[in-house]
Amino acid sequence: MSFIELKNIYKKYPGADKNSVSDVSLNIEEKEFIAFVGPSGCGKSTTLRMIAGFEEITSGELYIDGKKMNEVAPRDRGIAMVFQNYALYPHMTVEKNISYGLKNMKVPADEIKRKVDWAIDILGLEEYRKRKPKNLSGGQRQRVALGRAIVKNQKVFLMDEPLSNLDAKLRVSMRNEISKLHRELGSTTIYVTHDQVEAMTMADRIVIMKDGVVQQVGKPMDLYEHPANKFVAGFIGSPQMNFYDVVLNGSTVTFKNGEKINLPESVLSKLSGRQGELILGIRGEDIKLDSQNIELFKSEKQSAVVENTEVMGNENNLYFTFGGSASVARVSKYEISKVGDEIEFVFNPSRMHFFDKETEECYI
Amino acid sequence: MLTKKQKGANLVLATVMIIMSLFFLFPVVWMIANSFKPDAAITADMNSMRAFIPPAPGGNFFENYISIITNTSFLRYMGNTLLYAAILIVLGIVVNGLAGYALAKINFPFRERWLLVIMMLMIVPTETIITINFLFIAKMGLLNTVIGYILPMIVNPFNIFLFRQVFISLPDDVYEAAQLDFCNPVKYFFTMVLPMSKTVVATVSVFTFLGVWNDYLWPSLVFTSSNLLTAQIGLNSITANETTTMGQTLALITMVTIPVIIIYSLFSKQIVEGVVSTGSKEG
Amino acid sequence: MKKKTSTSILGMAFFGPALVLLTVFLFLPMLLTLVFSFTDYFALNPDLTHFTGLGNYIKIFKDELFLKAFINTVKFVLIIVPLQGLGALGLALLINKVTYCKKYFKVAFFIPVVMSLAVVSTLWMQIYSPEGILNTMLGQIGISPQPFIYGANQALPSIAIMSAWQGMGYQMIIFLGGLQAINPGLYEAAEMDHASGWKKFKDITLPELKPLCVFVFITITIGAFRMIVQPMVMTGGGPSHSTYTIVYDIYETGTVNWEIGLASTMAIVFVIFVVILTIIQTALTRDKEEKNVNKKAKRR
Repeated sequence: MSFIELKNIYKKYPGADKNSVSDVSLNIEEKEFIAFVGPSGCGKSTTLRMIAGFEEITSGELYIDGKKMNEVAPRDRGIAMVFQNYALYPHMTVEKNISYGLKNMKVPADEIKRKVDWAIDILGLEEYRKRKPKNLSGGQRQRVALGRAIVKNQKVFLMDEPLSNLDAKLRVSMRNEISKLHRELGSTTIYVTHDQVEAMTMADRIVIMKDGVVQQVGKPMDLYEHPANKFVAGFIGSPQMNFYDVVLNGSTVTFKNGEKINLPESVLSKLSGRQGELILGIRGEDIKLDSQNIELFKSEKQSAVVENTEVMGNENNLYFTFGGSASVARVSKYEISKVGDEIEFVFNPSRMHFFDKETEECYI
Repeated sequence: MLTKKQKGANLVLATVMIIMSLFFLFPVVWMIANSFKPDAAITADMNSMRAFIPPAPGGNFFENYISIITNTSFLRYMGNTLLYAAILIVLGIVVNGLAGYALAKINFPFRERWLLVIMMLMIVPTETIITINFLFIAKMGLLNTVIGYILPMIVNPFNIFLFRQVFISLPDDVYEAAQLDFCNPVKYFFTMVLPMSKTVVATVSVFTFLGVWNDYLWPSLVFTSSNLLTAQIGLNSITANETTTMGQTLALITMVTIPVIIIYSLFSKQIVEGVVSTGSKEG
Repeated sequence: MKKKTSTSILGMAFFGPALVLLTVFLFLPMLLTLVFSFTDYFALNPDLTHFTGLGNYIKIFKDELFLKAFINTVKFVLIIVPLQGLGALGLALLINKVTYCKKYFKVAFFIPVVMSLAVVSTLWMQIYSPEGILNTMLGQIGISPQPFIYGANQALPSIAIMSAWQGMGYQMIIFLGGLQAINPGLYEAAEMDHASGWKKFKDITLPELKPLCVFVFITITIGAFRMIVQPMVMTGGGPSHSTYTIVYDIYETGTVNWEIGLASTMAIVFVIFVVILTIIQTALTRDKEEKNVNKKAKRR
């Protein structure tokens, strides 16, 4: 049995006509770092709050460490949680915020002191220990919230969009700190975020949700390389994957505006004979502009006019219209083009994805 | 930015208003100034500006006050009232605060209806039911007891409503965090909710104090004659005594007023906010 | 399901103490007041209680003393409401205007509010006394001594003036809050439109303060209806019952004469008046909001 098990979990709010969470089943192993990701309203936070016990489970079963938890009070589930708005106790100092739970657990005073000192030390809060939350910056508050969670030695950490209130720079450094903490403490962590970058960079496994339904569960690179459907393919990765409505006839792919490319046998074999209307997906970095690739696939060479560029420094995004759809190519800094330039490119055939037009399920 | 003309006009206005305020406050000034004089001096000074000027501090300066303190139980009455106010502040915050918290944050049956009932009760003037409450207390044999005086004063629909309005905006995630910190709801109320709502707690405390200290009707019914009297009732019974002089009366009412002036100067912000909030709800 | 019942229990546990006290000292007394108002309940001899239907209601409106108390109360209201309301408004406008000693004025005019009714009444008894400071001051400007609270014609107005003096600081603070809430941009816009000081007052200040005025005047009215302590301390309702009020009558009938039935009837009549005033107040203030909403709707 896995450490945390969700079995066919549903959530339906009274009076709502739709389930907020539908049939979520998931096994989480001990010490694993799992990220729930999806757009707002997808049910990821609700699922987390059901695991925490703040929301009632409408139906289904939740097990933590082998025990059924549906009816167990949040405090008795062996969890610690970091909240989106930190939820610090405003009238208590940093120290008191961190030690409050231990005091209520009747931990001996010297042990409380040791643990609080340890948490304050690893979170770098030494000079703020006597301050109240209103005199701390966002990042410091976030650390206090983490401190409050880690001192209690709970086996499960729940984090509900903990970085969403921080500015971009701080978010990157806190990302690293949380990853480091997880490696050091080894607690099972469930992390909810709407930011796919956070999920990709931190998690061992990612659960992608949409409209209360789990779309795919997997390791970050698996999700990136082998998305289960068009939603996952589009959600993971930035810039978003390019999608084209196409018709496959034999080995010829015809785009909306009549442009054509031919697929090699290797791709066709993976499609196992599927023909007709499909959705072609390809990531920006798999649209190749370098001479080597163009030489390699020169029979399928295409061209377009650059409509906009995003210069990032190490790499650049070129926006253009191809096959009747807005497209983006991600190129190295040596391939920079200006708006209005005509570019030549090829699609890397081995990196193309094909989705069912109706179900949006991914074939390759 | 004021023009020169406006500045001048404002100076005139301020002068006029200072004179107005002196006329407005003449009873208070007269009260304090003459509380230090023997009756003969009060009468003698009546015809001149000396009526509003205290005598030069000397041997008999505090005589009226000293005679009140030594010859009557007035200090005791003031002490009683302070004690009652303290008890009612604590009980009032606990009882009304818990109710306000329940109405704001806990989902229990008929919550919305209870809130409506509380709001309707705010309209009913206490004078309407004072007779029946007096009858109750009398039948329970609680006349002339501290419990009989305090019991009907604890609950206050207005304070319940006030607490509810403030508590409803407290963040829910702090409660959830506290739950994970092994804090039970009762402990949460006392160690989190009240400290997080210091302003409303202060406002309610100050208004409870002023209410208890200045109340006349209810203590005059419950306390007949005993050493349990409140300051206001004690004041009335002492001044009703023929032997009490005018100067002593003025000293008495000055003494009764000192605590409220202290409270007002310490908490004028809460008082003004409390007063303005009664208006802004309607306006 | 388990969670739901436990929060219900918690809610009732938190609300319970207040509910018990509300029931015993508010609901039950209200109910009993209503029930007793139809009986001749006499507290010293409860066994002889009869149901008298509307008898008490007819009786009190034939009772000369109650009618007198009623008329006195209405008179008191008619004197004090304009005095205290306009006084408070005037003070607020002046304080809002003045730039020097603003803080002092706010405190000075508020001081009587924190003084108790018993203290103020005791103090003004001295001030109103025949050889008191007020008559002496009037003598200085050639006005002969007035009886004030010792004369049947002057007693009620004297108490009204004193009460207005005591209370107006409270409403002054409310008006000041209202004045400060007016968007200063309105005055700047009016200035650009060459509006005179008076026009600004008439076209901006007054309309903006109108809902607050309704609230203030009705609160003063309700407060005035409840008046009892001043005559209790100063005049005992006299001379010749000229300062006897409705609540005073309720108090005397119920707690001195122990005629609970009759006192309850008076209390019910009294509460009906208060509720009517409150309904008028909510209707007037809500009416304005609805009109505003309608205006906005039309504009769309």
